[in-house]
Amino acid sequence: MRIAIPKGRLQDKTLALFAAAGYDVPTNDDLRTRKLVFARGGIEWIFVKDCDVPVYVEHGAADAGVAGLDQILEHECGAYQPVEMPFGNCRMMLIAAPGAPPLTKIATKYPRITHQYLDSHTLRAEIVPLGGSVELAAVLNLTSHVIDLVETGETVRVHKLELQDLVAEISPRLIVGKSIYRTEPKRIRELIARIEEAKNASTQSQVA
Amino acid sequence: MATKFRYPTGARPLLIEETARRRRIESRFVSILESAGFSEIVLPIIDYAEPYAPILERGSVRQSYRFVDREGELVGIRSDFTPMVARALAPSMSPGELLRVFYRGDVIRCEASRLGANRELFQIGAEIVGDPSPAADIAVMRLAADILRAFDAKPLVVYNDTSLVAQFDESTRTALTTKRMRDGLPPLAQKLIAGTATIDDVRAFDAQSAERLDAIARELDPDEFQLHLDDIDENNGYYTGLRFRLFSAGSRTKLAQGGRYDTLYERFGTPAAAVGFTFTIDELLERRPRAGWPEDVSSSRRRDAAEPAAETAAFPE
Repeated sequence: MRIAIPKGRLQDKTLALFAAAGYDVPTNDDLRTRKLVFARGGIEWIFVKDCDVPVYVEHGAADAGVAGLDQILEHECGAYQPVEMPFGNCRMMLIAAPGAPPLTKIATKYPRITHQYLDSHTLRAEIVPLGGSVELAAVLNLTSHVIDLVETGETVRVHKLELQDLVAEISPRLIVGKSIYRTEPKRIRELIARIEEAKNASTQSQVA
Repeated sequence: MATKFRYPTGARPLLIEETARRRRIESRFVSILESAGFSEIVLPIIDYAEPYAPILERGSVRQSYRFVDREGELVGIRSDFTPMVARALAPSMSPGELLRVFYRGDVIRCEASRLGANRELFQIGAEIVGDPSPAADIAVMRLAADILRAFDAKPLVVYNDTSLVAQFDESTRTALTTKRMRDGLPPLAQKLIAGTATIDDVRAFDAQSAERLDAIARELDPDEFQLHLDDIDENNGYYTGLRFRLFSAGSRTKLAQGGRYDTLYERFGTPAAAVGFTFTIDELLERRPRAGWPEDVSSSRRRDAAEPAAETAAFPE
């Protein structure tokens, strides 16, 4: 079985949850080698950019992985999403500078989700796809608005921008490819059950 | 000049060896299908888009190349055989007529269905038209498995009844298609997500589906033909009942898929039940050893390296 772990902000918590579920996950020493593939305990762990996890799982290059709902929606990923993770929650927001002109252009890393947002609100605007630092587009008047993830809101405050509308609540999910579900259902169900159990234990310990 | 050496994404020629191999695979398919009493039909590579408009889902429409011809009609390049077969056969069918047909050719899709996949796919498919019985479902699944077995591969057929999911409300369907348990789900949905649902559980919900699945399951070897009641798709397209996928045991690459579409022919003029399957031959051509994935990943790699043609050797070289 091959599991895709997202590099970046979700990596450590994802590995900790798999470890809590009893999986032999790559250690920090392993990760310092800069390798991206590790075979441990019968599982091949691959480390990929968070936006690529749905692509790997959807196309069967990985059997399971952890991906944010933002990436799942943006890639129209049809993989199963059996477990919502207890960490990494954030919101996808429509953001603008105070006194911004009417919505005419939106900068975003999520053009597909933005299309859907505009369609569902019967709005018309030009979408400007950007690779990162999306808030700058609103600060520098490149676009009237931006759509981006907001975790603490600090970036928005620092740039004196304002939150205008909620586009989606975003949470990371365990995603599972349909092929492994069809061909090795017992094995993948065991993984799902162990992750669900570790998640519940973690949630309960936080409550206590 | 920039395109002197390139082909459009997802398109490529087959050169001498690959062409010969494909032709050998194709002729073996044709021989098996003809022996099983199926007759070949040939379908056009382009057709008007309008007759298919009420049938095809948005996703399927997005997958097809379309253009306006010189007469101003919207025309699509073939991207799915099944509706075309129905459109071709339905007008000349008599009520109650039974047909066994097969077809072969390319389908062209704007978006590859998987990473690195071709946009131009060579498919061979077969259909039993006019037989609504579970026996036809069984015959079609067995035939697909027999074809794979003819290439010395052990088939694994995973099947389900798509009519079940259609009876749940949207929120339950979302839970079923994402496989995420939540409070308040109907008992059958909870069991489906947990993977513990049986045909008896289905019986209380939909006796007709349960009876049909029971009739199918009783006749088939459960090791080779696995009923996955929880194998539920967000979108079932034109499928109305049975839906199945065929794998080579130990591999996760889907080699064929099929199912029952009992309302498709009616849309083209003659009501007729139909059940069939389609193999994508490119999947057979491209098969590489990824079988087994035993516990020790590194040793499986060594084994693969030592036996590079283990899985492909069974196919005509």
